[in-house]
Amino acid sequence: MNDTKGKNKRSFFEWFQDRWIAEPLFSTAIVLLLIIVLQTIVLGFDYDSIGSWFSSWLNNWINILRNNAGIGIISLGMTFVIISGGIDLAVGSTSVAIGAVIMMLIDNGPKGILANMGITGLPAFIIAIILGVGLGYGLGTGIGILITKGKIPPFIATLGAMKIFRSLTQHFMQGYNPTVPREFLQIANFKIGKFMLMPIIYWAVIAYILYYVSKRTVFGRQVIAVGSNEKAAKLSGVNVEKVKTGVYSLMGVLVAIATIIQVSRIGSMDFANAGSGYEMDAIAAAVVGGTSMSGGRGTILGTVFGMLIIAVMNNLLNLFGVPPFLREAFKGLIVVCAVLLQKKEKA
Amino acid sequence: MIVEMKNIIKSFGSNKVLKDVSLKLKGGEICALIGENGAGKSTLMNILGGVCKMDSGAIYLDGKKVDFDTPAQSLNAGIAFIHQELNLINDLPVYENMFLGRELKNKRGRLDLERMIYETEEVFKQMNVDLDPKIMVRDLDASYKQIVEICRAMMMNASIIIMDEPTTSLTEPEIKRVFSMMRMLKERGVGIIFISHKLNEVMEICERYIVLRDGCLVAEGNVSEVTTDDLARFMVGYDVRTERLSRDKNLGNEVLRLEKLTHETAYRDISLSVRAGEILGVTGLLGDGRSELFQSVFGAESILSGKIFLEREEIRINSTTQALDKGIGYLPRNRKENGIIKDMNILENASIVTWPLFAKRGVIDWIRHRKIFKKQVKELRIKMGKSTDSIDSLSGGNQQKVVLAKWLSANPKLLILDNPTQGVDVGAKEDIYDIILNLAKENIAVVVLSSEAQEVVRICDRALVMYHGVIQGEVSKETMNEHDIMRLATGGKLD
Ligand SMILES: Nc1ncnc2c1ncn2[C@@H]1O[C@H](COP(=O)(O)OP(=O)(O)OP(=O)(O)O)[C@@H](O)[C@H]1O
Ligand SMILES: [Mg+2]
Repeated sequence: MNDTKGKNKRSFFEWFQDRWIAEPLFSTAIVLLLIIVLQTIVLGFDYDSIGSWFSSWLNNWINILRNNAGIGIISLGMTFVIISGGIDLAVGSTSVAIGAVIMMLIDNGPKGILANMGITGLPAFIIAIILGVGLGYGLGTGIGILITKGKIPPFIATLGAMKIFRSLTQHFMQGYNPTVPREFLQIANFKIGKFMLMPIIYWAVIAYILYYVSKRTVFGRQVIAVGSNEKAAKLSGVNVEKVKTGVYSLMGVLVAIATIIQVSRIGSMDFANAGSGYEMDAIAAAVVGGTSMSGGRGTILGTVFGMLIIAVMNNLLNLFGVPPFLREAFKGLIVVCAVLLQKKEKA
Repeated sequence: MIVEMKNIIKSFGSNKVLKDVSLKLKGGEICALIGENGAGKSTLMNILGGVCKMDSGAIYLDGKKVDFDTPAQSLNAGIAFIHQELNLINDLPVYENMFLGRELKNKRGRLDLERMIYETEEVFKQMNVDLDPKIMVRDLDASYKQIVEICRAMMMNASIIIMDEPTTSLTEPEIKRVFSMMRMLKERGVGIIFISHKLNEVMEICERYIVLRDGCLVAEGNVSEVTTDDLARFMVGYDVRTERLSRDKNLGNEVLRLEKLTHETAYRDISLSVRAGEILGVTGLLGDGRSELFQSVFGAESILSGKIFLEREEIRINSTTQALDKGIGYLPRNRKENGIIKDMNILENASIVTWPLFAKRGVIDWIRHRKIFKKQVKELRIKMGKSTDSIDSLSGGNQQKVVLAKWLSANPKLLILDNPTQGVDVGAKEDIYDIILNLAKENIAVVVLSSEAQEVVRICDRALVMYHGVIQGEVSKETMNEHDIMRLATGGKLD
């Protein structure tokens, strides 16, 4: 009896405070909501012309989501990596390496590999995609093995991989600019009705699959166990090396998918600069979404929210006309503030 | 100094943990605080130690009302606290841990390393502890960590010391040393609150006792007027059996055989065998190497030479996963570091071992795990809220039961239990013994590693006693007694 009385007495504020402290997902969702409200106001909500307001609001949103789909997918993989207690700095370079390989394969210029073998069109695309994803898997697994078998800290191993992949790609792609066939662009630019929704659909589907993986599968839960207490996980029969390697393999596959979307969206790639900064954006999304850098804690949904917060914020800065160089500072500020607001980690 | 806690009430959410508890302790007195797992002992002490806040009630020191918001405030008021779970920083050497938060500085404000090392050495000498202060805490075994914690509290010059299960991973001689230290402090007028589930320790060192049950004080008095059986009854509310346990033994084929197994440092030349349906005890003192030995069998430690046979076939085990596949289970000791995964909930902690075993295409069968765990909660009398609550919300003894539960459903051929009843109350201990006996009945080979001779005598068919990494001798059921075990464990021989 006393209990229920106690519950009634608790104010909304107390309830809110409790949830905020206990649930990173809750605080992230609230922040996201606030930012979206702000964005709506900035877009000039006007009751009289609600129709045109809505269409511009929708367009703006589709743009935001589409532009961030690639990095959004990568940040999902980063969430797994960070939960497992690791970090992956090589995602941008991996992306460039995979992009280069795919573009060489499907190139319809004189040097195109598949074209020279007489394979063009859909079969060529399918082969290129399979090889690209395979390459991502391979590179990721390689990094994973380096970390687990070679006992190199993830930061160092992926820093090394980042330099190596980028430099090799640039070296071999010197003076060679493959042209991507127009049909390939359909992967990202195919229109549903009036809208180019494909990247958003890929992102959503992958987010759902990974959500399921992290909640329901042995692998997904073992990642948390390994990140939280590696020794206890090992003594519970968890194959720690396999789990850790698996996390980087998954990362590689996701980078490959993100790269395919990126290449087909833009149709070209700047091998020197493309993908640089991906790692930091992905880490930022995960951290803003409540993933703990010390491992063991984090959710897929949180990272999706985190990515959206950053994306909408970017969009807002754009709408406000903040100069591009200043925008990065704001991004940094959001990351720091988000973590400040979240549950403090125990030392 | 006199501490008084008056009418303490505390709840976590809707769970009323302390319902109006009052307690008084004088300087120069050792008082036992006992009770079932989850009775509220640690919570009460956490309030006194400034770790958590009470809902209502008051604390008086020498008649003056005090409020502790942080552990530091409580420490400054002269109350030292040895926590139930180890609380050392792994990446610092022993001596820096000893002075954590009150580091010694020299005149120029730099850390005075020499003096810290010197003073640490002094305390160790007093305690008769053979330990290099400069060693990293990471490299210490759980028992040594516990000793370091105790020494740390001893050198704080506190007037009140709270000891929450300080002896769970210690063996006889170290416990004796801790007790003599406690007696010395008592002479000096220090008051000690001593929490333990080992009632013979309570009989030996305490003069007063306080019993908590379900957050209420149910009994208190002088230890000299009661027996351990009385104390056990006060705690759980019924008579706890104490006799030696026996069962119809039905030994099957050999399950495990070790031949001249040798480790780099921890043990050497170990040969032994265990049969299906047998309960083998392995005991010894600190540094005897028994945990490392069986961690090797489980693939968590490497071996230098020797052979392992499982069901007469030689095997090489490189990982714990492989061991699990082959039907070997190992419940580690020191649950905080080796057992508990703090970012997972109770159910997950209780089922992690069997996820891959019951999974369909990699998808965890939560329904099945939930069903199994529900049964285990009853069998092991785990006191908890929802199975999706955080593992941190359980009392120490209940966490231990959860860690044990994860191995019980794995159905191994060989189950190694390292200190399985660490911090478990007298009633639940008997339940666990019954479970172990039942496992043997189901033809599982069970190895129980324990530092409690009494435990070994009560449940094992035969026991090996190790001393500094070798098997010093063997005792078996008919003639097994605590005296012989102690004799072997300290390096003696049986005639
Ligand atoms: N942080 C917490 N959140 C929620 N419940 C808690 C928390 N800490 C303790 N409890 C609950 O309070 C009760 C008392 O716990 P406490 O740790 O005081 O038991 P204890 O007497 O020390 O038991 P043990 O002998 O097992 O150590 C338990 O039911 C436990 O589940
Ligand atoms: Mg306790």
